[in-house]
Amino acid sequence: MKIEFTHQPGNTAATLQLAQGERCTTESGAMIAMSGGLDIETTTHKRGKGGLLKAAKRLLGGESFFLNHFSARQGAGEVVLGTALAGDMMAYRVDGDALMVQAGSFVACEEGVEIDTSWQGFKNLLSGESLFWLKLSGRGQVVLSAFGAIYPIEVDGEHIVDTGHIVAFQESLDFSLTKAGKSWLHSMLGGEGLVCKFKGRGTVWCQSHNPGSFGLSLRPTLKRRK
Amino acid sequence: MQAQIRGSDAFSYLAVTLEPGESVIAESDAMSSMAADLDLQARMNGGLIAGLLRKYLAGESLFVSVFKNNTPAARSMTLVQPTPGGIRALDLHNDTFYLQPGAYLASTEGIKLGLGFAGFVSWIAGEGLFRTVVSGSGTVWYGAYGALLDKQVDGEYIVDSSHLVAYEPGIKLKLQLAGGLFSSFFGGEGLVTRVTGRGRIVVQTRSLTGLTGWINPKLR
Repeated sequence: MKIEFTHQPGNTAATLQLAQGERCTTESGAMIAMSGGLDIETTTHKRGKGGLLKAAKRLLGGESFFLNHFSARQGAGEVVLGTALAGDMMAYRVDGDALMVQAGSFVACEEGVEIDTSWQGFKNLLSGESLFWLKLSGRGQVVLSAFGAIYPIEVDGEHIVDTGHIVAFQESLDFSLTKAGKSWLHSMLGGEGLVCKFKGRGTVWCQSHNPGSFGLSLRPTLKRRK
Repeated sequence: MQAQIRGSDAFSYLAVTLEPGESVIAESDAMSSMAADLDLQARMNGGLIAGLLRKYLAGESLFVSVFKNNTPAARSMTLVQPTPGGIRALDLHNDTFYLQPGAYLASTEGIKLGLGFAGFVSWIAGEGLFRTVVSGSGTVWYGAYGALLDKQVDGEYIVDSSHLVAYEPGIKLKLQLAGGLFSSFFGGEGLVTRVTGRGRIVVQTRSLTGLTGWINPKLR
């Protein structure tokens, strides 16, 4: 599979070129355009493993994470992908390691990549932001998107990232939800609240803007939901 | 201190490196990432009364965060405003600058943050009853929704409501209709702000009320 990004960073689109016989998996709303000859299949999980029970469990959990699987059975083809929020995209190759991805940032992956949605991550901890995480492992390329620009932070020691700014991070990093600075009071008063602290060695990819904060800034002038 | 505006015009963010002993003051919730051993202290923004006024009248927060590097080596952090758009750095040398509600992002220690009454004209024009007054010596960073345009005004200039981001003290705001009665209300421009005087103004290319105004009719 070949990945090409165009119109970065404002209106990024990813074009995936599939050779005959290749397959890719995308987040359900991401497809903008595609070749006519491709087959599509929709599941709530990894292709072939999306049991009814698992789907039910996910619906109960309030998650509606559907995946589309494109396959170039009859011949080569392409899929063009885009996202709802304006911003950049990036590619990453999983090669035996694992990548933790904030679900809203997942765009697509190759067939050899395993998607684990059962990873609880920060969920068991008190977090105002209901982030849902994917654990990507196996082998193959992955496409991720962001709200705004993407920048990597090479962690060697300890680094803090606001939860709303995380796109993905390598599994080699330990993480915990904590406060910014030394004092809980000051972290709360300073509006930072809970942040994610990464420990060890590895890369965190950040998005320059926080979708939640942007959403909240619209609230004062947005019409009330009836 | 080193500060760099990165991420292109569309998605600017501020990357700051603090040397040992240095600090930077930032708007509440502006921190997106930081070295874990930087100290954060929430500081009432210019005292309780000024802080409360700033919160309820100028749309800013009651507290600002002070990030200080108490380690023996340089430490880095990133700051950003909630809306995608440009960021500007402004160096002040014992002078004053006005920021519209929500525009303030960060500043160095020598900058004083205050609240100024912007007048009813500003309020009616959708620019807020109060404005943030930054003064002193140092650097201020402010951000916007969309790109930032500069205009040196000498005399009169007209800005659509809710697009003004910042202006120099030599500028006064006046309210008026964009054109005649008809074009003002049917041309979608409505009320505009007439800025008069001499000085620089900064305008953002987008506005949040413009976006919500577009979304609202589509919501049920």
